[in-house]
Amino acid sequence: MSAEKLATLEDAAALVRDGDTVAIQNMATQAAPMALVRELIRQERKELGVVCLVGGIPVDWLAAAGAMNRLIGAAVSMEQFGLCQRYRKAVEAGAIRVEELSETALNARLGAGARNLPFLPTRGLIGTDLIDVNDNLVMLDDPFGGPSVVACKALVPDVALVHAHKADRFGNIGYEPTALWPDLGIMPKAATTVIVTAEEIVDSEVLRASPDRTVLPGFMVDAVVEAPYGAHPTSFFPRYGYDTAMHLEWIGATRDDEAVAGFMEKYVTGPANHAAYLEAAGGSERQTALETWEA
Amino acid sequence: MGDWQNSPPAEDWTIDELMIARLAACFTDGDQACNGMASFVPVSAFWLARLTHAPDLVWLAGAVGLEPRPDRVPASTLEAPLWRDSIMYVEQYGDFWTIALNGRWLTKFCVGSAQLDRYGNGNNSIIGTDYHAPRVRLPGTAGLGDMGSIGKSLYYWNPNHNPRSLVEQVDFISCAGYLGGGSERADAGLEGGPELVITNLCVMDFHPDTRHMQVASLHPGVTFEQVQEATGFELPAPEGQLPTTAVPTIEQVRLIREVIDPDNMRRREFGG
Repeated sequence: MSAEKLATLEDAAALVRDGDTVAIQNMATQAAPMALVRELIRQERKELGVVCLVGGIPVDWLAAAGAMNRLIGAAVSMEQFGLCQRYRKAVEAGAIRVEELSETALNARLGAGARNLPFLPTRGLIGTDLIDVNDNLVMLDDPFGGPSVVACKALVPDVALVHAHKADRFGNIGYEPTALWPDLGIMPKAATTVIVTAEEIVDSEVLRASPDRTVLPGFMVDAVVEAPYGAHPTSFFPRYGYDTAMHLEWIGATRDDEAVAGFMEKYVTGPANHAAYLEAAGGSERQTALETWEA
Repeated sequence: MGDWQNSPPAEDWTIDELMIARLAACFTDGDQACNGMASFVPVSAFWLARLTHAPDLVWLAGAVGLEPRPDRVPASTLEAPLWRDSIMYVEQYGDFWTIALNGRWLTKFCVGSAQLDRYGNGNNSIIGTDYHAPRVRLPGTAGLGDMGSIGKSLYYWNPNHNPRSLVEQVDFISCAGYLGGGSERADAGLEGGPELVITNLCVMDFHPDTRHMQVASLHPGVTFEQVQEATGFELPAPEGQLPTTAVPTIEQVRLIREVIDPDNMRRREFGG
């Protein structure tokens, strides 16, 4: 009999402690575990280190809330919605320290963490200035006599936050056919604690019907939470597209502190829970529109 | 499909279409091409090449969707609906970087860079002198920090040629070009390197010995002096008459406007 992993959003987010290094699934406007990110901000988590491949709006909200003081990642951008302005401002003010890695270097650090190795090498980054400013990257002679490589020190995040299409109550995680970013391929396997939100909690029999779509085994997962539209306002293919209007509203708000505070109150700290957030964000009418990928 | 081979030069072409057609000419059958974020010019160029001279050019949309069939260029070049109808989703951790690092595939890569210097080094990291206390924090290196170092031929595109984006020396190297010029890149053990820079004013390449950027062709109506004025470092004086960049054909312009990008997403890159 497997252990039950079902939790409330509040209890799951409470597994993250102040100061933790938190790996967040996200690719610009895609697939971020936003319900968890909002709950971390509601619980006033502080001094988080955020690990992401390409961080978008979750990074900007965490920066705006003063919840993070470091970032490990390859880029931070909301693609067509531009740079994450609150994150950028915090970095320029010295409030967030950035460890910028190329994609292969981030993958190598996480891959080493996942496989209990001291480091993994990459051939990326050679010749760039990114090696000099980062103690976790060291040029290494090939012991077999070939060209030098960059040793990328193992990274073991305290927590990984993932959003999925389906999960059973034992924490087995099912994905519908879609692109799989390294967030899913390696981040949760490197992290000490894994928290998953899912669009729906299903009976294990549903996962058994297509085990090729199960991407994380229950024993690797510490808590699983049902959170429909849990990636909103990022997209979650194939179910719903990113929310253009909310991204634009956020970009508009980032120009001044008062507008940021108003936005956060309206959507993040004001709504008492995930259901209240979805109502504030336009409810079922908005959700139906996002499912057309034209909104 | 129209008769692209015998199509005469267009008269009403715009600069975005010229850049797309020039970049498309760099990709041929047998190549594989991928694109990243906000890459409307490369995406349109790959698509144009596939509809004309390179029907077998393999396209990995958003570096994830193999051979997709989008109905037009959408607002995001990184995600659905661009990758709709793909024949395969290339998983990033295991598959995409294996394909990119192997050396046999994806040998050409298009780069958009906030700063680009005379030796083809790119910078998307910071503006300023102190990495940990930057004047401006840029988005970050993402895949460029890899692509510059793993033997790819790099094709830079820059829709806003100005002295702030084309600089003598980048504030910070986040994409390795020819480093300090001459043999420095080769001495560092790196193969490949910057091939072309396509801007809204001209096409530039790199001197085979010094590796310094130089004008290869001027777009119609643009003078060398105008290019120099818009460039943050001294360009080598041209030896004789510089060629004029070929303008897109009537059929190329039609394909871009009617088939590939009817919503004019590519225009978003030409803000000024």
